[in-house]
Amino acid sequence: MSVALKRTFQHELSLNDVVAKYPDLPRLVIIKTDVQRRGIHYTERALSIVNPDIHQMRSPYLFGSRDGEIKDLPESLLLRDGTTILVDPTPLEQNPYLVDLVDGRLALVDNDEVVEFVKLWPKPKYYDVKTSSGIPMSHIASARPQRLNIFQSSYCHFWAEHKECRFCDIVNHTKQQKNELGVPVRLKPYDVSETIREALKEKGRFTSICLTAGSVLKGNELFDNEVDFYIETLQAIGENFATKKFPSELISSAFNEKQLARLYAETGITSYTSDLEVLGEEKFNWICPGKAESVGYQEWKQRLVRAVDIFGRGNVGTGLVGGVELAKPYGFLSENDALNSTLDEAESLAEQGVTTFFIVWVPRPGSDFHDQQNPSLDYFIRLASGLHQLRVKYGLSIDYNDYRRCGNHPDTDLSRLL
Amino acid sequence: MSVQLTEEQIALLNDRDSHKVLATVDESGNPHVVFKQSIHVAEDGNIHYLELLESSRTNHNLVRAIWFDRKVSIVVKGGDKQSFQIKGEPLEVHVTGPLFEKHYVEIQERLGDVDLAGVWVIEPQEVINENFWLRKVDEEAKHPLFLHLDRIAKTKVQH
Ligand code: SF4
Repeated sequence: MSVALKRTFQHELSLNDVVAKYPDLPRLVIIKTDVQRRGIHYTERALSIVNPDIHQMRSPYLFGSRDGEIKDLPESLLLRDGTTILVDPTPLEQNPYLVDLVDGRLALVDNDEVVEFVKLWPKPKYYDVKTSSGIPMSHIASARPQRLNIFQSSYCHFWAEHKECRFCDIVNHTKQQKNELGVPVRLKPYDVSETIREALKEKGRFTSICLTAGSVLKGNELFDNEVDFYIETLQAIGENFATKKFPSELISSAFNEKQLARLYAETGITSYTSDLEVLGEEKFNWICPGKAESVGYQEWKQRLVRAVDIFGRGNVGTGLVGGVELAKPYGFLSENDALNSTLDEAESLAEQGVTTFFIVWVPRPGSDFHDQQNPSLDYFIRLASGLHQLRVKYGLSIDYNDYRRCGNHPDTDLSRLL
Repeated sequence: MSVQLTEEQIALLNDRDSHKVLATVDESGNPHVVFKQSIHVAEDGNIHYLELLESSRTNHNLVRAIWFDRKVSIVVKGGDKQSFQIKGEPLEVHVTGPLFEKHYVEIQERLGDVDLAGVWVIEPQEVINENFWLRKVDEEAKHPLFLHLDRIAKTKVQH
């Protein structure tokens, strides 16, 4: 019989150590970051009070979870300051936080101590409705506490060429989701439009719409077909608004100026994100071979900078999978080196009006990096603080991707007071 | 430590005609004091405040308060000169969910096209009766030396 060894964090600063080390940073955001880093496990007691009529249960997502399974569990958690924790169910041997029932309330528990009380996400009303084509609307738009996610297509062409990003599990997860839940791989614009219309009936529920998908390389020019798909979908979404522009984010490949100008002119989109995933050309080439080969690191950066002329400062950003820069075997060997390099590169982008944010890297079973470990909490907190300070220094707002309109970036949680 | 508000204090806080003021501090400790008529006592016994502007100074100060365990202060004054100060701590802000959506709808019914950033829940921790005549009696009992001598002189100076 094999005995699974629990991951331990003895050589790292604990949550309380990190909270004490950074008195100027909010404990709640540090907790969020550590919970994302380590994951969660719901106890039976906690699950006994989950009510699928009022709590949002896990709905289709672009990427898979840390346990590689699709289970009927609560979607995620909210902290009392309104901070969202997007976090996966995680096998117990990885030593996640427990979500337990304490005095009738849900709490994050670690080493038998209550760390913080939490709430579950409320279920949006449209989750009980189907499109006229018969698809559950939760399969068309997945909700966060205040945002709607449209995963227009969950296929990425880099996978077809075996050039996928090494932390990514999109295609493996898509197959699983299609087989187990019947989630469509590509969405039809009229289904999206109908779902948005239904979601908007719930007053006060949503503040923004995020559209994203895998990369599509085809077209007259690289990514032309991807641009066409987005324009079609965004125009369908736009049918539901009285104003031409609506608070929204597109997370896509790095489009050229002509493509970006079309997107901005022909749709209601207000902000643009194109993820470099990891900063530094050498690491980018290793970790994102498809992106490196199709566009290249320097050109990807330049396309982001050019997007600022179209979308405006504060409306263009790039996302990182924070921590992959330390992956083995070619990542940085020290957290200090990784941090310095990443923040230097992020500053070169901030100087030109492009803001950088990160998600906490979670090694997923369906990815090439499945057997690795993410860095320390101390590292993630220094990264969050460093990226936030760059926004302060360069006067870059992050309204479009903050705690409410996104909720998945510890650094933009800090920027809530900008 | 939380305190329970009396019926009288609750009635005053829930009276639309009372004047209600919320005081917070910024990151440098500078006070920020504003009239906030949305302040009321909810069924949970806590004070709720509707913040309509995400980027307001009060909202930012409340976020700092919940992040760094700072207190806020509320003053309520009724038409009959009754006045209380309540010091408390923000416990939670609802930015989504049933309570948020209920207030979102109600505030739009009252004010028209406005937004709602959050419903702040403030736990009362200390209540001070700010009625001057009560405070005077209290001070005279506790600090009998705090007075000017002419007030107790045999012959009072005439103005
Ligand atoms: S571009 Fe990279 S991270 Fe994005 S879906 Fe494709 S492989 Fe995954």
